[in-house]
Amino acid sequence: MKATTEAVYLPVLFLTVTLLGGLRVADRLTFVPPPLFSLVLGVMVFGVLVRGRVLAADSLMSASRTSLENLSGFIVILSTFFAATQVFNLVTPESGLPFLLFNVFLFVLLVNTLAGAHDRVSVLRSMGVIVGAAFILKFIVLGAISEPGDTMLKRVLFALLEGVTLGTLTQPRLHPVAGYLAFATLVLFLVGLAMLPSRSSSVALVKSQE
Amino acid sequence: MWMQDRSVRVLGLVLALCYAAFIVWLYVSQPQTLAEVTGGLTASVGAYRINQQAFDDGLGLFRREQHDAARAAFERADPAGQDARTQFYIAYSYYRSGWGRVYQDNEMFKKGLEHAEKAIALASGGRLVVDDPGLAMHNADELRAELAEGLRVEPSDFNPMRVFRQRK
Repeated sequence: MKATTEAVYLPVLFLTVTLLGGLRVADRLTFVPPPLFSLVLGVMVFGVLVRGRVLAADSLMSASRTSLENLSGFIVILSTFFAATQVFNLVTPESGLPFLLFNVFLFVLLVNTLAGAHDRVSVLRSMGVIVGAAFILKFIVLGAISEPGDTMLKRVLFALLEGVTLGTLTQPRLHPVAGYLAFATLVLFLVGLAMLPSRSSSVALVKSQE
Repeated sequence: MWMQDRSVRVLGLVLALCYAAFIVWLYVSQPQTLAEVTGGLTASVGAYRINQQAFDDGLGLFRREQHDAARAAFERADPAGQDARTQFYIAYSYYRSGWGRVYQDNEMFKKGLEHAEKAIALASGGRLVVDDPGLAMHNADELRAELAEGLRVEPSDFNPMRVFRQRK
């Protein structure tokens, strides 16, 4: 991996995700720190990335590297963790029943990915599906429910969720910019994951008996 | 080549640490406008300056009891809300706008209290004294206490003799 990518591009990219993940745009800007459960999910993602060979920790920190190289590798590891945490802060609703349901949904998906995926491509695909699904649920489905007025999507969802009080599902109204900003943040995160130093499957060289 | 690699890593390290510090600062100080971001950053290195012309205009309007206009000028003088003295005058202006012989405007007092607390938080050591002979309260703590007292409902609020009290 090139020094520029490891020391500059990756930390800047992941720190940008960290910054934008907690940004909430309304009539005023607020920066929301991650809830505790996002930290748990961030640790799980980190496990998924290492297990799925998306992030080769020994390519970033090892005894064969110099102190400076290890330090920049440590910054990449730390910024990846914070970015993962903030991504879950971003795609999780702020409060109420949706907050609980989303966290359970994300937890189950990550446990499934941790147990099932062992190669880089499938882990990257899984990460895309997890954050993409959460984005659609929060910014499109819940966003439509929380919009004032009577929209087509709201009527359909109301029919589907008959029996559930919509009051428990509605969230503060999202600013029109919020969805676009969240989408850009998630794309940045996925690009950053794809740029991480990976480890290919180990190959044993066996001497021919001929 | 080795030197170049080392320079890039050092540069990246400095960049990442500065960026991380900036993010932590944003999350702690919660600025809401770009002016507050730039003002906060310049204040943190001691380079923040208010618009003196706008401040003098505000002071003139304040002394002529034109408080809405005075607040607009003070806000223009200190768009980032980083100057304790300007915040004190904004709080005082809200106090004078909201003060009434029979009752006071709670909304004005609430805003005044916010600015008084901000002024105290910004002042060095939390102590702010403004030497202005036109004011009856020179200390930010006194102003804050007066505003907080105005917001509390107490038996003395129903004392008819209150109509003879003086505005500070």
